[in-house]
Amino acid sequence: MSRLGTILLMLCSITATAGTRVQGEFENSACLACHDEQDSELVAAWRDSAHGSVETTATCVSCHGNDHAEVASRARRDASCIACHGGPRGPVVHSYTTSKHGVLVRLEPGDRKQPLSSANYRAPGCAYCHMHSGNHDVATVIRSWQPEQAVAVDERERVQDAQRSVCQDCHAPRYITNLFDNGERMLEIGHMKVREAAALMKQARADHEAAALQDAEQHFLRMKQQHMKNLYLGVAHQSPDYQWWHGQPSLDGDLIRIRGAIGLLRRLKALESVEKNSGPASEQRTQ
Amino acid sequence: MSHKPVWYIWIPLIIVAIAIPAGFFYVDWSKSGSGAGLYSRKWVPEAIFAYWSPDDFYQSVESVTGEFEGEQCLECHEAVTPGIVNDWRESRHSSPGAGTAAVYCSACHGNDHQQLRMPTPEVCGECHSVQHGQFEDEKRFGFPSHSLALERALEARHFVDKPKAEVTACLNCHSVASKCDSCHTRHRFSAAEARRPEACITCHSGPPHPDDETFFASAHGRIYLAEGEQWDWSKPLRKGNYRAPTCAYCHMDEGKHQVADKSIWGFGLQQINPLGSVNEIKRNKWVTLCSDCHEPDWSRQQLSGLDAERKRAWSKLGDAEAVLKTLRADDLLYPAAGERAPYPNDWLDSIHPRARIGFFEGQASAFYNVSPIERDYFEMWYFDNLGAYKGAAHGDAGFVQRGHAAMDQSLAAIKDQAASLRRLNEMEQQRGVQRPAPTELWKSGEYTEFNREQN
Repeated sequence: MSRLGTILLMLCSITATAGTRVQGEFENSACLACHDEQDSELVAAWRDSAHGSVETTATCVSCHGNDHAEVASRARRDASCIACHGGPRGPVVHSYTTSKHGVLVRLEPGDRKQPLSSANYRAPGCAYCHMHSGNHDVATVIRSWQPEQAVAVDERERVQDAQRSVCQDCHAPRYITNLFDNGERMLEIGHMKVREAAALMKQARADHEAAALQDAEQHFLRMKQQHMKNLYLGVAHQSPDYQWWHGQPSLDGDLIRIRGAIGLLRRLKALESVEKNSGPASEQRTQ
Repeated sequence: MSHKPVWYIWIPLIIVAIAIPAGFFYVDWSKSGSGAGLYSRKWVPEAIFAYWSPDDFYQSVESVTGEFEGEQCLECHEAVTPGIVNDWRESRHSSPGAGTAAVYCSACHGNDHQQLRMPTPEVCGECHSVQHGQFEDEKRFGFPSHSLALERALEARHFVDKPKAEVTACLNCHSVASKCDSCHTRHRFSAAEARRPEACITCHSGPPHPDDETFFASAHGRIYLAEGEQWDWSKPLRKGNYRAPTCAYCHMDEGKHQVADKSIWGFGLQQINPLGSVNEIKRNKWVTLCSDCHEPDWSRQQLSGLDAERKRAWSKLGDAEAVLKTLRADDLLYPAAGERAPYPNDWLDSIHPRARIGFFEGQASAFYNVSPIERDYFEMWYFDNLGAYKGAAHGDAGFVQRGHAAMDQSLAAIKDQAASLRRLNEMEQQRGVQRPAPTELWKSGEYTEFNREQN
């Protein structure tokens, strides 16, 4: 195997130095054998990224295919990302495909032989933003998130700076700033709703047994895992539908149902407490 | 017999003479606040609103000084924002054909970089007067409408009542009234692009208007998905030009820039009489349109099918509404109207709290700060019902079936909950238990207080 690797490596460097295109079909190990030398920074960025850490699923060939003549253009298609990121109807993809960017990319995919930079495309596909200029560290424009509070300021600023450098291929600086600021405030309102629910749940867990709180807990989970995530995706992918219908009013609904479940438990508890000292209830009524 | 002058005849005249100008003055005054629309004094806009309602909020950037002509704009923006220059270069504005001058940046945005303007339909209408005229004309058909969409949003109770950063997405779509590039995206402004169904889906998607899903799943939509890439989208939306109809082919037939003149069931939130004389005119328009491909009788049957589906839906919605109104009459909603967080800008609500149930009481804005059973009805009415409607209107039987199954389930759950509330109340009365006041549970909390103080 290692001999084969060495031969391939030699072959690659020969073809590269000769300036001719590499042809043929390659397995992942062969890609790495060559590109570790040729593009060490790129491969290192990939290794450090989430894609690199699950090597079995997001290898070079997962996105690029194994036909060297089409490696770049193939990986630049949105379709390369969709299958792993929840499918076309999953919130990650759907929030993007219904956005104006997603729509324009579907209608005008452009010449995928062009690098992912300098407004070479009518609108940004997945990779244009997340792997701008071929950056293989896909986390550059993704921030971590938690349901109850915003990410630390320095991480936010780092990611926003990276995003800004992509957006400004087409959009004016003030427009970008206004959208970013608005997005932060929109997310903070979502966080407020989750924190409001968290405070309610904390009190409820002190007042009631876990078995009685199943309904409320389920709504709380859905609020944190689903609806707050929708809001993040709506802001990140500029989808009004996910910011609103799948986001804010859904969070409102969760708050209503959590409160409803707790209110019902309180009424049942009040009834039970009378039942325990039964007798007085009927007496009270006759008095 | 002498006629004494009846002095008090002047009282109503004086009142009328004062009230009418006062009314006008009040409306003007209420529109002169920091926001926009009838409730403008109650809110402050987010900075991004400037791009979605330029007439109300846009102010030019002042970072660059000087006056510029077309080629000078391009020279700079080629480096600053190359994407929009690429777009413009490929647009008809840049190469309008022999004998016509190119439409440069400055034609729409102005020359003075300190006083740039964001183009509104009026600006586009300076050249595209036919389309702009049709767009304006749409207003006479009332809601739902593209040209009235912005005021619909600005004057919605929940838009006024909620923090503006929360309701930003409303304006993102409702700005279709104030910017042509909602459909003809900047800076290509392509007619062909707006003819594609995808041009509509950024706004026409999601639970209350799954127009995208219902169309793509219909026979029309499946033909489009299979063959649409090969069609010549530069052709007008006219008989013989397309093998299957798309959103714009039906709703903006012949490229007419209004979508409201054939709308029978409207948004789908109200029960109407589909057989009234005005609707008969609209029905005939549909039949004529469908006749581009279908037999008139067949088209009439399809439209009757939609009416029948709506009748079934409204019988279910009517049942649910009746359950809720009976609960309200018996004071069984929990929390009752006075026990919830109020809508901050609704003064009537603060002196006379009342649960809003159904279209005419404004339940479209009452999806928060309400009891769970009201929210369940809101979702049945706004999501299940509207999904079924769009399924029936666009020809997606699966969506109709799922929407009605969801409505059946919601109705059963609403009846169940109502029975529980009733039983609980009976038990409390039998045992002499005071129903615990839910006030503190419902009126406090970080977001609820923020909304009350800083909406």
